[in-house]
Amino acid sequence: MSTKKGHPRRGISMYSYQMLLGKTMTLEDAFLEMYDTGATCFELLTSYIEGYPNPSVKWIDNYWRMCEKYDLHPSELGHWAENHLHRGPGSTVDEMVEQLKRDFRLANLLGFTSLRTKITCTNMMCDPEPGWQEYIEKALPWAEKYNVRMQNEVHLPTTLHTPHIRDEYLEFIHRTGTKHFGFNIDFGTFQFRQAEGMPERMHRDFKDVTKPEEIVDFLPYSWACHTKFVNMNENFEETTIPYAEVIKLMIDNGWSGDLLSEYEGPARYGSEKDALRFGNALLEVPDQIRRHQIMMRNLLGY
Amino acid sequence: MVEFMAIQQRGFHNTCDKNGNIDGFEFRFVPTYYKGLWFTQCRFGNIEVDGEVFDRDGLIFEYQGMEYTREEMFDLNLYWQFREPLVFKVKKPGGLSIGYHDVKLQFGWVLNYNGELEKEFDGSGLGNSFIFDPNYERRMLLCR
Repeated sequence: MSTKKGHPRRGISMYSYQMLLGKTMTLEDAFLEMYDTGATCFELLTSYIEGYPNPSVKWIDNYWRMCEKYDLHPSELGHWAENHLHRGPGSTVDEMVEQLKRDFRLANLLGFTSLRTKITCTNMMCDPEPGWQEYIEKALPWAEKYNVRMQNEVHLPTTLHTPHIRDEYLEFIHRTGTKHFGFNIDFGTFQFRQAEGMPERMHRDFKDVTKPEEIVDFLPYSWACHTKFVNMNENFEETTIPYAEVIKLMIDNGWSGDLLSEYEGPARYGSEKDALRFGNALLEVPDQIRRHQIMMRNLLGY
Repeated sequence: MVEFMAIQQRGFHNTCDKNGNIDGFEFRFVPTYYKGLWFTQCRFGNIEVDGEVFDRDGLIFEYQGMEYTREEMFDLNLYWQFREPLVFKVKKPGGLSIGYHDVKLQFGWVLNYNGELEKEFDGSGLGNSFIFDPNYERRMLLCR
């Protein structure tokens, strides 16, 4: 690993605004919110592309206008490698490659060089469905052509020491030697305690979580990470995730990827069922994101 | 922009046949999930209004001006755009009375993470989005 200090970009995942988008917030409102925070890059999800998978020229032109106006750079496009879209046993390898190519082209068109590629899993630990290597490997030349890097998201309750991370994904990277497949390390994997106000179904015991130092081995295979947060206090501190320690390790090890704020706290739950909860989310969600961006600015120094 | 709840009151009204007779009612539905879905991965259940059950195979779904049955949706290679309503059309001669109605429905989908794969390969269940409640309900006021 480089001895040179890293200089990550500070960004936001539009997923953070998902419960407001299309209800009280347009895509342009989200761009303005992000601009207000001083973020310089963003993650978009394919679902937020109007007309996906075939957006109009008008939409694309407007998208680039917003990027320019709000001085925000495309970082990561969140997409899905779904092989159970039809009844029956699942898609063929060639069908999967076509699906991936379609999203690679779109990512390239919209300026994204990183992808959060959600490979089909078979349980809560996100063990991948057997056979994923076939279609991902066959898609690698296309990822190279369109200059995009697929990233598997390591998301709570998955840890960096969950067996499939090394036994399958890291083994695949080493065997193929690819520079177009890696990890989006979601900071929720470092979460060590429950945030207040989370719904019961989201409660966990946090006995087995990723230790901050585990991230170091994975940094060469990561280009964008979800800086997940669930509770930002008024002192601009995340109370459940050891941010300072993890960010220091990344910088000290020369990592210069994108850190994308991703809100997944209590205000987002149940807001579609109750007017008071929705009203709370209207105020709380943008506030939590702003607080997180201030924390990130404090930690990064920019 | 849509309303904050999944079942939309905006668009809830009785419908008429070509002779002007009330032949049913309709309302709009928008999934609360954070992403759009392919219609082929959607799983629709029955509708219940004030305790009366309407079988899912008798429903007509309208999307972007085109009508489909549940069965036709399994082959519909179309992406349900994020926050775009789907119209549920229900046949009921005479329609619903003016006033409040309790509308319930079941909806699930085939999710590609956070759980086991879908067990019903024929699409007869509610998919595998087990971590989300498939039951939706709303009390709505019908005016016409």
